[in-house]
Amino acid sequence: MSEALLQPLEFRNLTVKNRILRSNLSGRFDHYDGTGTQARINWELKFARGGVGAIVSSWCGVHRRGFIVPGYASIETDDRIPFWRELGRRVHEHGCPYILQLAFGGRQRDINGVEFERGWSSTDKPDPLHGFQCERMTKSQIAEVTDAFAEGARRAREAGLDGVEIHGANGYVFTQFLSSAINDRDDEYGGSLENRARFLLETVRAIRERVGDDFHLQVKLSTTEYGNALMPWAKKGNTIEDSVQVARWVEEAGADAIHVSSGNTFPHPDNPAGSFSAKDVVATYDVMLSSGIHTFRNYLLFRTWPFSRILERRSSRSPDEIEGANLRDAAAVKRAVSIPVLCTGGFQRASTIDEAIGRGDCDAVTIGRALIATPDLVRHFEAGGNEPPNPCTYCNKCLYAVLESPLGCYDERRYGTREEMLAEILSVYHDEPAAVTP
Amino acid sequence: MIFEPLQLGPLTLKNRVVRSSVGGRWDNYDGSGTEVRINWELKFARAGVGAIIASNAPIHARGGILPGYALIDSDARIPFWRELGRRVHEHDCAYILQVNHAGRERILPGLTYRTGLSSTDEPEPLNGFPCERMTVEQIREVVGMYAAGARRAREAGLDGVEVAGANGMMPTQFLSSAINDRKDEYGGSLENRARFGLEVVRAVRAAVGPDFCIGYKISVEERLNELLPWLKRGNSVAESVQMCRWLEQAGVDYLHISAGAGFPHPRNPAGRFPAAEVVKTYDTLLSSGRHTFRNYLAFRTWPLSRIFAWWWQRPGRRLGIEGINLTAARAVKQAVSVPVLCTGGFQTASVIERAIGAGDCDGVTIARPLVANPDLVRHFEAGLDRPPRPCTYCNKCLFNFVENPLGCYEEARFDSREEMLAQIFSVYEPSETVAA
Repeated sequence: MSEALLQPLEFRNLTVKNRILRSNLSGRFDHYDGTGTQARINWELKFARGGVGAIVSSWCGVHRRGFIVPGYASIETDDRIPFWRELGRRVHEHGCPYILQLAFGGRQRDINGVEFERGWSSTDKPDPLHGFQCERMTKSQIAEVTDAFAEGARRAREAGLDGVEIHGANGYVFTQFLSSAINDRDDEYGGSLENRARFLLETVRAIRERVGDDFHLQVKLSTTEYGNALMPWAKKGNTIEDSVQVARWVEEAGADAIHVSSGNTFPHPDNPAGSFSAKDVVATYDVMLSSGIHTFRNYLLFRTWPFSRILERRSSRSPDEIEGANLRDAAAVKRAVSIPVLCTGGFQRASTIDEAIGRGDCDAVTIGRALIATPDLVRHFEAGGNEPPNPCTYCNKCLYAVLESPLGCYDERRYGTREEMLAEILSVYHDEPAAVTP
Repeated sequence: MIFEPLQLGPLTLKNRVVRSSVGGRWDNYDGSGTEVRINWELKFARAGVGAIIASNAPIHARGGILPGYALIDSDARIPFWRELGRRVHEHDCAYILQVNHAGRERILPGLTYRTGLSSTDEPEPLNGFPCERMTVEQIREVVGMYAAGARRAREAGLDGVEVAGANGMMPTQFLSSAINDRKDEYGGSLENRARFGLEVVRAVRAAVGPDFCIGYKISVEERLNELLPWLKRGNSVAESVQMCRWLEQAGVDYLHISAGAGFPHPRNPAGRFPAAEVVKTYDTLLSSGRHTFRNYLAFRTWPLSRIFAWWWQRPGRRLGIEGINLTAARAVKQAVSVPVLCTGGFQTASVIERAIGAGDCDGVTIARPLVANPDLVRHFEAGLDRPPRPCTYCNKCLFNFVENPLGCYEEARFDSREEMLAQIFSVYEPSETVAA
């Protein structure tokens, strides 16, 4: 048990001590303007301490016009570098490399905030779920954002971090260009797959030029978009065959790894796959009401039977189809590229991870929710356990709480009492080791 | 008169303009303070106000109005307040901590305490926040929390404390005949309803000693029926004045006059009801209270939103906004010998001069006009009667702070929206020094 997953993994420019990476997870820990706080550092230290091979940062905005919600630390100016340097220094004390995820939201957002009403996207059609309005990007705006990614990568390097990940998945701006279900342009950034991939590939090359060849750069892709998962009348979007081709191009353009996810929105029934509880959603969706043109409609639907029930059915996945749901895609990508492939999606059993790596489906896994539930998951594996004693239930309450409340595990059943749960959640505000259960 | 020193018991202020309690959600969810709150207070300290009254500092997590406000609920909080006080003192500005338990008067209950505490078990009427009726034992506990909060303020080197007794907070919930429905020694007669607030003041005095400034903020005009016409009016001015006499006997060093047995209230902050702005941020409250969905629909829906806005603006139209509480202040001033501070829309030097000269009050406290013009005192020093771009009482500051950084959101006061946003975001500079 636990053999492959505890082996180091060598990327071209980075070596990690094991095959478990913390996937990008946000939490509104920072200030409204994107300055970082100690709480974000404390948050990351929970996972660094718990023994993960590397951490992929939270969603980190490279340009103000791409912000999706206030309260996420950004990398949009050189002023932000000292914060990230300090965060990196603290995480490194635990032998854990830190990969900054560079992101731009486009038309997919959570809360508008006061700074701008319309995001920049491939299209001028609002996002279909919440109705966030957007502008179709001009070529000069595309160039501006491309440069912002390159600058973000340069800043990450100057901050002493260990690499960057381009967030090319889950419905954010690169998905909005890549996706045949979203991109409706008729210039060289729309139409054929090659054209739709142009913005992403230009960004990979721009980063490479800016930071040099010896800095880790990985790209996260939603390899199957499942665009019709929630609304059956919607277009499916890109298939795995499309994405395998994109992955090849990304490798040629200079990436060091591919990170496989799924779904052309976030959230999406398949990412994070699990429960959709209308009641929990209603409790925090209210904060989004004034942001999108469909949010009030949605709020009423989420509150109202039978619509809430239908949504729950379409959005929920049963526990046995969650862990490793993206492995088939990862394997297809792995066959097509020679750089390492990371795969996300509900992993929390050593045997599943070992088998996936053993079969060659992927080289490592990235984990979000299961690590929120059990930050020291790797310690359980090191001790020979196949799964933690109190695993993540994929209830997705962490996700639905995040807009109004601190990110953490909100599944009360996993704790002795509600007080214990709250103490664990609020521990992110204390700069001291969280209780670790070896 | 504005620039004459003012003596509040043991504390001397350099002038008569005090920043009233106003602050945003600058801090961490758990109530630990951040550099941003310090930046916020420094905006006013730097610009010459005589003192700053902190935005409400909860004495216990259950007494918070919404997450994001630094607490004074344990000794672990003292270093933050000490640092804040030190930085404010560099500008020769006094810092008075407002110790508060909000009771049932909340905005976002947050995770930890779903129900508030109160004199009653009737929910707060505007949003419908549920609460528990406190037992006598719980009352003693809460009184002790005020005392402990005040002791911490003194240990932090701050210059005084103000008991938040106005605006629907816990002491109002006891004092108000429109809210308190108890049958025990804390309810019924005015004397009984006053018991809680007086016990708080005596306990605070016992905790901080005789040589530390204690203030008490009181809503002299309660008028809950001006918020919603089906509510009771609450205490008469005569009853509030009697309470002020008792407060003086109990040992307060000053009284601070406000209005309304709930917050917000058409008299505090008096001004416009910006329905469009309210709809944008009120959504956050929807899942919190029993009446919030009703309110949200009303605020969104013409003509209900127009009717509510008209209703809200009535007292301000009738009485005028600047100095709306001066009549009440005068009534108190005639009854007590401690200094009286008065809040309510002040931003004109001559109005303030006249109020102090006429003996209506000894000093004024200002929130919104200082949010608009933190350097208001500098304008007065330069001989201006009013700043060139005065506060318009649009109340957009108030209705933004739940979701957005507190600041002046009146675009008409700025050359561009960008300039307005830069002013709002300036509170984040310099950015937090992360502890190494």
